[in-house]
Amino acid sequence: MDFSLSEQQEMLRKIARDFFSNELPKTLVKEMAQDARGYRPDLWEKMAGLGWMGLVLPEKYGGSEASFLDLAILLQEMGRACLPGPFFSTVVLGAFTIMEAGSERQKERLLPGLARGELIITLAVAEPNAINSPDCFEVKARKRGDDYIIGGTKLFVPDAHVADCVICAAKTAKGLTLFLVDTKSPGVTCTVLPAMGGERQCEVNFDQVKVSGKDILGEIGRGQYYLDKVLTRAAAAKCAEMLGGAEQVMEMTVAYAKDRVQFGRPIGAFQSIQHHCANMLNDLDGCRCMTYRAAWMVSEGIMCTREVSLAKAWVNEAYRRITALGHEIHGAIAFQHDHDMHLYFKQARVGGVAFGDTAYHGEIVAKALGL
Amino acid sequence: MDFRFTPEEEAFRKEVKEFFGKELPPDWPGVDPDQYHEDAFDHIHEFSKALQKKFAAKGWLGLTWPKKYGGQEAPLWKQMILEEELTYRGTAGYDAYQFLGGCGDIVLEFGTEAQKEKYIPPMCRGEVKWATGMSEPNAGSDLASLQLKADLQGDYFVLNGQKTWQSAAHRADFAPVYCRTDPNLAKHRGISIVIVDYKTPGITMRRLTQMSGLDAFCEVFYDNVKIPKENLLGQLNGGWAVVMSALNHERTYGIQLIVNIKRDLDLLVQYCRETKVNGEPLAKNALLRNRLAEMAIQLEVARTLGYKVNSMVLKGQNPMATANQMKILGGIMTQRVAILGMQILGLYGQLGPVGGNWKQMDEKKDKWARLGGRMKHLYLTTVCNTIAAGTTEVARNGLATMGLGLPREPKPAAPAKK
Repeated sequence: MDFSLSEQQEMLRKIARDFFSNELPKTLVKEMAQDARGYRPDLWEKMAGLGWMGLVLPEKYGGSEASFLDLAILLQEMGRACLPGPFFSTVVLGAFTIMEAGSERQKERLLPGLARGELIITLAVAEPNAINSPDCFEVKARKRGDDYIIGGTKLFVPDAHVADCVICAAKTAKGLTLFLVDTKSPGVTCTVLPAMGGERQCEVNFDQVKVSGKDILGEIGRGQYYLDKVLTRAAAAKCAEMLGGAEQVMEMTVAYAKDRVQFGRPIGAFQSIQHHCANMLNDLDGCRCMTYRAAWMVSEGIMCTREVSLAKAWVNEAYRRITALGHEIHGAIAFQHDHDMHLYFKQARVGGVAFGDTAYHGEIVAKALGL
Repeated sequence: MDFRFTPEEEAFRKEVKEFFGKELPPDWPGVDPDQYHEDAFDHIHEFSKALQKKFAAKGWLGLTWPKKYGGQEAPLWKQMILEEELTYRGTAGYDAYQFLGGCGDIVLEFGTEAQKEKYIPPMCRGEVKWATGMSEPNAGSDLASLQLKADLQGDYFVLNGQKTWQSAAHRADFAPVYCRTDPNLAKHRGISIVIVDYKTPGITMRRLTQMSGLDAFCEVFYDNVKIPKENLLGQLNGGWAVVMSALNHERTYGIQLIVNIKRDLDLLVQYCRETKVNGEPLAKNALLRNRLAEMAIQLEVARTLGYKVNSMVLKGQNPMATANQMKILGGIMTQRVAILGMQILGLYGQLGPVGGNWKQMDEKKDKWARLGGRMKHLYLTTVCNTIAAGTTEVARNGLATMGLGLPREPKPAAPAKK
């Protein structure tokens, strides 16, 4: 077994970390939380210039054919930097779904633009009465001639307000099916939800939206099959993002414990603080091992539903504990909005319910145990 | 990055598994890695001694040690796989103190040529048992305050004082004993290690009964015990370096606790699948499913961290910080599995023989015990897993100071003299 990154992976990490420390101060992150769009198009273009949108795409679509693990390393840095904007939606949800389910023609039409940063795509799955149970989905697509008419409400759709295209999972007579929906189509309305994190999530209403049969992604009725694959990867990718945030919290907190003097000594010299830090490190190293293993397995094409669930269930809880202890050690200073801790505290909570909360992944683990 | 085992590793694992398949009875319930089972009960001890010889015949005792002293000079990964498999099966006969707890390793690292030739080959032949003498009534976590006196008088050290909570001492032939050789030096500096033959006159032992009912450790009293001065291990007053090395060699203890407890989780899962309570299969109980899954997740995290320790050692990196983490996790996790086991068994959890089901249970007396009383034993015995081989608190201190670079807590002022 080998737990270390390759030289190229270390290089990618360094480039990403330097890029964000130069380009994305936390003041900008907080500013973007108030911004209507929620991200800076100039930063987006620079990221596209670095080839990040196409990182894992095949060369023929303008990508650089890196592995999922490479992408995970990049996402880790994005989590650390609290990057706002539609990168995760476009690359993890959009590009992977198109790669998984799309026809050659659809890939040629969408992926090169996506790789150049010209196209923002997201995925609409959750609904008011169903998070991830296809049997309970209520958004329907009725066939009319060669077209389909989509009706219903999708919730918690990331970045839909800025997306060019939403991949919508809707029920047809033949089962759950994925549709590429242009967000400018008549009948599509989008409202940003007042969520606590920096990530923009939307309510998307489909009111008699006409979609051509040519914009079906993959086979009719196989939507759940594609979603299972994409959402497993999304869970692994979310772990990577959360891992990056957790690392930053650990580093900030230890630095603060060494620096902050009370009772005539750095607070890090008190055992109570040391034990909190030791517990944070245990949780963090668990996050690291589990996330890398899951991401590596995705990269290698090894079946890893269980391993991704193990990772996500652990990271959800461990990251929450890490931020809680981080706050405890920082004391009042980090309760201020000026401080960066709250960005991570929110990231941990929001990430913890995305792509399967702890109970959801715990149940997958329980089944894998034979229960 | 690569999380696979190599074909060579898989092949060795298979060989080890087949060996256990042949040498252990099919219903072998497994002994705990702390060896309390095999130290407490004569019949396990005898079985253990026979198995130790078979390990020796396979070349698995001192697997990585120099051939010159009877070892195999095998690569370290083999040792790691061997440890993992024997711990999962709960195999007896693999003396933790010689091969895992560092007695052999510190003799190889600090011993003279004569000491190595004298002590290492019998270990590799499976002929001896070792213990280790650290704790004293007033030196627990603060090991450096130990007081057992060793006065150098001519050709001998004369030992006076007491050790306590000594695992395996009543079964052992030898032990490195940590003594005070100069009371005038700072407490870390006046310590030396002497190798003690437990048959030396003047040594008396008293077995102590643990809260689980096993009488598996000892108080050891030294009354003018004469130990030849050539038994000094390392430098005179240089014992603290040996202490550090010995603790470093105990790095695998946490991993063993975790691997061992995986067997208990498997046992509990099977029990829940087979058992109905109030007409409902336990496996369908949402609370228990959740708790079992939570346990499986924690164990998997800890096990993966364990592989990381191994991988660091193989790469020549210092694994101390991660090994400390394993120690912390291992201790806590064994207690959690025991608590979960007791929850699952409910009222039945309190029943069962001392030590659990490692032997024929009394058909009448133990007829209502579930899982052979294993969970009761685990619940009682794992209390020590956050204490033995360094408490969780001391390990956290180490992790914070060595792993994260936090400043050490200043020593408290000495109490005012009356």
